[in-house]
Amino acid sequence: MAIATVNLEVADIQGLVVSGYRRLAAADYVLLRIADPDRARRWLGKIAPRVTNASAPVTTTGVNLALTATGLERLGLDQEAMSTFPAEFVEGMATSHRSRMLGDVGDSAPTSWRWGGDGGHAVDVLLMLFAVDAATLGQLRADQPLDSASGLEEIATLHSTDLGGREQFGFNDGISQPTIAGLGRPAPDRDLIQPGEFVLGYTNEYGLLPPSPSVRGRDIGRNGTYLVFRQMRQDVAAFWNFAAASGDGEPEKLVAKMVGRWTSGAPLVMAPDADQPNLSSFNDFAYHALDSDGVRCPIASHVRRTNPRDSLDPAPGSDRSVALVKRHRLLRRGREYGPPISSAPGGPRPPLADDGQDRGLHFICLNANLVRQFEFVQATWVASPKFAGLYDDADPLIGARDAAGATFDVPATPLRHRLHNLPRFATVVGGAYFFLPGIDAIRRLAAP
Amino acid sequence: MGAVRRDLTGARSGDRRHRELPHQVGVTFVAAVRADRLDSLRALLAEMGGDPAGNAHIPFGRVGGIHYARFFLLEPTADLAGNAIPGELFFMVDFDSPIPARLDNLLTAGAGWEEILGHCEGFAGTGVDACKKFFREHTVRDAAYYVNTVGLSVDQVRLESSLREALEQLVDGSPELQSLDPAAIRAKLVDFVRGTPALEVSLEAAQPPEPAWQLRELGHLLLVPVVGLILLPLLLVAIPLWLVALRLHERADVESAEKPQPAHLGDLEAIEDFGPVNQFTAVGFIKPGWFRTMTARTVLFLVNFGARHIFNHANLAGVKTIHFARWTFFDGGRRVVFASNYDGALESYMDDFIDKVAWGLNAVFSNGVGWPATRWLLWGGARHETAFKNFLRVHQAPTQVWYSAYPTLTALNIANNSAIRAGLRGGEDERSWLSRL
Repeated sequence: MAIATVNLEVADIQGLVVSGYRRLAAADYVLLRIADPDRARRWLGKIAPRVTNASAPVTTTGVNLALTATGLERLGLDQEAMSTFPAEFVEGMATSHRSRMLGDVGDSAPTSWRWGGDGGHAVDVLLMLFAVDAATLGQLRADQPLDSASGLEEIATLHSTDLGGREQFGFNDGISQPTIAGLGRPAPDRDLIQPGEFVLGYTNEYGLLPPSPSVRGRDIGRNGTYLVFRQMRQDVAAFWNFAAASGDGEPEKLVAKMVGRWTSGAPLVMAPDADQPNLSSFNDFAYHALDSDGVRCPIASHVRRTNPRDSLDPAPGSDRSVALVKRHRLLRRGREYGPPISSAPGGPRPPLADDGQDRGLHFICLNANLVRQFEFVQATWVASPKFAGLYDDADPLIGARDAAGATFDVPATPLRHRLHNLPRFATVVGGAYFFLPGIDAIRRLAAP
Repeated sequence: MGAVRRDLTGARSGDRRHRELPHQVGVTFVAAVRADRLDSLRALLAEMGGDPAGNAHIPFGRVGGIHYARFFLLEPTADLAGNAIPGELFFMVDFDSPIPARLDNLLTAGAGWEEILGHCEGFAGTGVDACKKFFREHTVRDAAYYVNTVGLSVDQVRLESSLREALEQLVDGSPELQSLDPAAIRAKLVDFVRGTPALEVSLEAAQPPEPAWQLRELGHLLLVPVVGLILLPLLLVAIPLWLVALRLHERADVESAEKPQPAHLGDLEAIEDFGPVNQFTAVGFIKPGWFRTMTARTVLFLVNFGARHIFNHANLAGVKTIHFARWTFFDGGRRVVFASNYDGALESYMDDFIDKVAWGLNAVFSNGVGWPATRWLLWGGARHETAFKNFLRVHQAPTQVWYSAYPTLTALNIANNSAIRAGLRGGEDERSWLSRL
């Protein structure tokens, strides 16, 4: 499908929508509660002009800002205005129904979250600070007037760690991202997504304008989007030690099967038997023609289910299959936190001792439709043990393990291998849904 | 389960007819509820809903031949003209034939029927016979009925699931199989099944439903086009007129902008996503006037024809996640209820609808009040994502009691299990068959 040129109002769109700010290696996520709405509105008005927009690449710092439904209510949005926001945003991430769907059960249940859950620590405002280095970040943080005069109370500051493009398990990360059509960036057609999937006010993959919230009848969603934040603690030692115990002497191959890429990033579909570091950022591939039965890259693997490309019914391998998947894409903007478990150049390898350190991922993604994009991907593809005809195979990397008999099927010829009783390697310890407004909308929210 | 296996294995040496598969029948019951008994009925249904398979009132798990069953209570409301409609109790079941015997078992299972029906207008008397009579009198005909795989019985679903699990465990425990070629592996697996009494029957092909029923279906398949052909001259005149009338109606239609209320949404979500299969029940008014009623009845007749003769094998026009579904007129044809059992979360169900069968949904539901605007019956409508999703949630009704005979199996699982069984006898090449494990 030819995509007409779209003029995105980049000066009104927050910069995080169009960029993960790779050059800004340091980042803090400040979780805030609104204690005094009047003061908080004044603070918002002051910070609005300093919020980084999408009109130019960042250089040394970046500031972005998002609000939860409770934050909007505290700022004074009435019930009528709140009812124009999507129900899932207003209800929030931590309802019991949502927890069942998203796999936030057992140790990942919101009752035990550090923030955002139903055990207190509700968040109203998320302030995201980015800088080229730690010193600059410290200065940026010091410049933020987050004292009592701001009307805000800090719940926590979540520091991030720059692992040089790898995530904590040791995999090259962030290779596959959708590209917003209309920004003039080159991308395979499969990854070129209509802007309305990520920014309100523009046409989406159904050829429609996404629903947009309004205040007193006036659109306040334009150039904004929704931000999903999930803090996931990763048990890196358990992950690699499991691979060592179950991988028939080839732990790296087993973890590659679980992820769908080698630790270098090379996709299993292109490099089925051994890692090929020259393919470490290779992303222009599909599944159906080369690997319809998953012998190269298991159906259950993490990357195949988070982006099934052309592999889904009703017509795998067709444009129709690709079009369907295009309605379930996410812009990932997360960053790692905590110290790496190993300083070895190739990343962690077994055997590893559990050092008790808290480490993981600040998973952040952006989408215009929380239910059809984030929740669909998380519930139907990641958490569901029934993805694409499977039986008991939740995502081997980040899936829940609440049901007895959870398995991981590794297709092979002549017969599959099947692993039993996978531990849960990633635990959700906090999370919330945020609205990431356009710059002008921030100003309007600041007005009493 | 034990009884099932005995039946199946017992049949091996006995009468062949015992192995003929039943066909599937939907039964729908609806009755008005006495206004003074609504609270009591709500409480009773809530109690049963906590344990559909084993509750003391009607333990569905102990009645044979039921795939799915549900009770739901529609709250009192008013029709489009403002006339009061009382609360109404629905019971729906997806049965394996033979129906008279199945219904008999169901209506004598547990003491709950008399208690439940006692909440309904017009139920007098006591005892099983009074229940049977009342049930019969309040059974309504479904306008259209969809069965994922016609002929697949509850017993067969369970047998084939056990077969698959046994084979998976065998493969788990037999690393030596990896060194054999695919044909030798299949032979080993077949030997294992032959040596396992509870599974041995799966070496034989599943039998098609009884010949008399098949003959009736064939008759229906032929008769409808023949009648259509006879009426063709009439249709050629009528269809252009109908199209003009349709467009006039569509231009005058009013699309609903209603969003689901948070409390209503909460009621629905509270009973969703406890397992991989969910229930869906939705109710709406047919647009006033004979034109929409006629169109809805005609379309549902065609839907029913398609479900019986075309989409009767694990695939409803590209959607492979629906186990059973039905459309039923009630309240003297003023309202229609749609009920289904589907895999996954509602969001994926609705996306499937938009992506794969929006035209089919439009043809049926655009005759209902408030449906997103359509063009020429098939276009637009459900493709208006937000309006469509809001419409479904607004019209959805909580299903207070929902029973499934195999709650952990998706339709894709069931189809794969059947293919595993079929492959024991050859057919599919070994490599591809083994990839089903």
